[in-house]
Amino acid sequence: MVQGTLEKLAKIRRGELSAIENVSSSLELIKKLDRKINSFIEINPNALMEAEAVDRKIKKGESVGKLAGLTIGIKSNINVAGLRTTCASRTLQDYISPYDAEVVKRIRAEDGIIIGMTNMDEFACGSSGESSAFGPTDNPAAPGHIPGGSSSGSAAAIAAGLCDICLGSDTGGSIRNPASHCGIVGLKPTYGLVPRQGLIDLGMSLDQIGPLSADVSGTVVMLETIAGRSDNECIMLNVDKLNCSEKIQDCDLKGLRVGVSKKFSELTDPRIMDVIDREIEKLHDLGAEIVAVDLPNLELGLSAYYLIVSVEFFSGTRKFDGRKYGKKIEDVCGEEVLRRILRGRYISQKEYRGKFYQRALQVRTLIKRELMAAFEKVDVIAGPTVPKLPHRIGTKLTPMEMYAYDYLTVPANLAGICAGVIKAGEINGIPVGLQLQGRVLGEAEVLRVMKALEATE
Amino acid sequence: MNIKIGFEIHQQIATRRKMYCNCPTNYQEVPPNTNVCPICTGMPGAKPLPPNEKAVAAAVEIALMLGCEIVTGQTIYIQRKHYDYPDLPSGYQRTSLPIARGGELQGVRIREIHLEEDPGQYDPTAGTVDYNRSGIPLVEIVTEPDMKSPEEARKFLRTLVRVLEYTGKVRPEAGGAMRADVNISLEGGGRVEVKNINSVKGAYRALKFEIIRQKERLKKGLTVERETRAFIESQMVTVPMRTKETEEDYRYIPDPDIFPLILEESWVKEIREKMAEPPHLRQRRLTERYKISAAEAEVIVSEREMADLYEAVASEIDPKLAASWFKTKLKKVLNYMKLRAADVKFEPAQLVALLRMVEEKRVTPEQGELILRELARNPADPEKIMQKLGLTPIKPTELAAAIDRVITENPKAVEDYLAGKKEAINFLTGKVLALTHRRADPREIAKLLIAKIKKSDN
Repeated sequence: MVQGTLEKLAKIRRGELSAIENVSSSLELIKKLDRKINSFIEINPNALMEAEAVDRKIKKGESVGKLAGLTIGIKSNINVAGLRTTCASRTLQDYISPYDAEVVKRIRAEDGIIIGMTNMDEFACGSSGESSAFGPTDNPAAPGHIPGGSSSGSAAAIAAGLCDICLGSDTGGSIRNPASHCGIVGLKPTYGLVPRQGLIDLGMSLDQIGPLSADVSGTVVMLETIAGRSDNECIMLNVDKLNCSEKIQDCDLKGLRVGVSKKFSELTDPRIMDVIDREIEKLHDLGAEIVAVDLPNLELGLSAYYLIVSVEFFSGTRKFDGRKYGKKIEDVCGEEVLRRILRGRYISQKEYRGKFYQRALQVRTLIKRELMAAFEKVDVIAGPTVPKLPHRIGTKLTPMEMYAYDYLTVPANLAGICAGVIKAGEINGIPVGLQLQGRVLGEAEVLRVMKALEATE
Repeated sequence: MNIKIGFEIHQQIATRRKMYCNCPTNYQEVPPNTNVCPICTGMPGAKPLPPNEKAVAAAVEIALMLGCEIVTGQTIYIQRKHYDYPDLPSGYQRTSLPIARGGELQGVRIREIHLEEDPGQYDPTAGTVDYNRSGIPLVEIVTEPDMKSPEEARKFLRTLVRVLEYTGKVRPEAGGAMRADVNISLEGGGRVEVKNINSVKGAYRALKFEIIRQKERLKKGLTVERETRAFIESQMVTVPMRTKETEEDYRYIPDPDIFPLILEESWVKEIREKMAEPPHLRQRRLTERYKISAAEAEVIVSEREMADLYEAVASEIDPKLAASWFKTKLKKVLNYMKLRAADVKFEPAQLVALLRMVEEKRVTPEQGELILRELARNPADPEKIMQKLGLTPIKPTELAAAIDRVITENPKAVEDYLAGKKEAINFLTGKVLALTHRRADPREIAKLLIAKIKKSDN
């Protein structure tokens, strides 16, 4: 990391680095490096113009927003007016969005410069970044390996330093999984904290937009920008604004209770567990108390998750009927998207009603209770993000092998809690991320722990 | 033959904005696809706004007027009903679980009431869709199959339309805002559902056609299959719909983007306290309280404003006189002038003053009607209108003179009358009326004429 997000912001504000310079260097880097990485699939042609407007404001001494001049990459399932919001699918390959998602409006209001749309697994259905109709994304931290997914382009762009902050979406780990594989910071906020107006559906009861960045400050400043109630949608928590910058300054973790579960090591590659255990050791050194918590049914979450996601995805994709967006989704989509649609169609049949979807919802309640019980004893739960190391791009995996990447990330979505990821170490040069799960609206605590760990580097 | 008829009625609720977005609802007045936004056109990523509370309140009020029990204090999920049709932008329609159950109207049980949203309008010929209508709130009223004839069904629908209009919260039927699916089964046959009915008349015709069709089949020893048919209004027939459409599984799921509704008991109570008395109950109350005939009460409650006017007047004057005036004269004047009771500008007190003049025989009923007509046109004190129209009461001497003159000038008619042609008296009365510029009561004239003729004959 050459410089932190906050230092860069300060430089832009002081006029030492212009927004135009920042945007130009980002565009140049993309031109130079992204042919190989394939993290961006659409570039904002107005980025320089928008940067110029920010510079003008600074020159005139006007006040600027908290993202002033930073380059922002947006995952291709979040609507940005005038840009192709394709979900990396042929279904939407010609869909130029007519409107800004609520989060995009908020980024613009804070003078962030949208640099382009990032690559992803098609319709966010994947954990490797390989299912994009625009081709797979490489992992800049471990070239030749998958960057993880589904926010593959967002994570890779940050890892390669192509832009300052990215937005991803996380339905079952889609921010945390690639953040872990790419060695960067990512956060899935509490369900209902960040508006989803303009986020294209995967599993609507699980989807949440969140930031990916090189340092914790980048994630914090973006979270503060996008979080908070919007009257333009129903399912939102009644939180006005989130302000956690001040709460995360304290690097002393004395009094903080960190939960660990033996379930994690049962499900995870021992090499990864070694890295994670060393990181938890660090938390202990910083003053935190390590407490064992019981999560007996954690692994049941995976099948419940895939049932719920499939039903909701089936419903959400009915609008891609070939009448309005050119191509009917079932006719042009990739294997995994089709698999989920067909699975959703099958299990949502009247005759199977009580059998699959309702049962999955019951398991969801079970997982939620289990995590809530754990959070009575601890403030955060620390553990691995992904149970195995990323495979090499192109390796054939069965669907179950692919789904197995998600064992440790889906519980946070099922329970609606927040969870952050920060790099814990490497195995043969491949990054491994520590996952910190927090309570509902426990973002400040999670980010404080991440900040404290970052400071030890 | 035992016939069972039931309805599923969809009526647009008259709100200013749509059910899940802020688009205006005047879809018929604007060019196609102008009252639209990403939400009501189902753009990728668009999420519904919280349900329009006014629409929910209107549906609750309608349910209360139909005597339903409101589902309070528990979660009412808004479900996604999936089906594939060009007018449905998201591939599903949002429909609530019942917000109310167990009502009754005119002996027909109301099974349940739902909140729904309208789809867009598809024109199969042009291959175009207009989404202006998409997302307009609907109330769905489901009855039990309690009607036994098309006539009974028509009567029920008319009454229902009146109840809905009474709330003032639905779009008038004239706008084609009411749609019904009707189900009908004859003894020995399967239950047939007919969709695509847009009016009371349409429902009646579809039922008539279905009964003939089904009877014919049964007579020939054929079976009547359980099926869904579509009504073709222009040809007044029903035709089978593709089986695919009828056997569809809607794969209902609770919409993950909307909190379920919870109707608070106290909120429902507020609506109940403020709501209008439903016409069918008001009719019953009027007959009992004012001792007027059912026929009179029916005319009076046909419009809420008419009933309000009646009750204001009946508290001041003989309710029976008022009722007979409402049923005959007022209704006639309003029809003639193409006015609705809601358009009436005169004060109840002015109508009371007029009726008092009639009661005191200061004007004849015929003169009263002339005054009423003027009152409806330019509201004023009826006394003044009477002056203006020159309807001052006639002096008895003047009337006697006119009668004498008519008898003298029409000896033939007088002879006829004496010879037993009773109708000759009407001719003579008309003459007197003309001579007195219609200021005298024809009944009074006839009486005086007869007395005079008999007297001179002696």
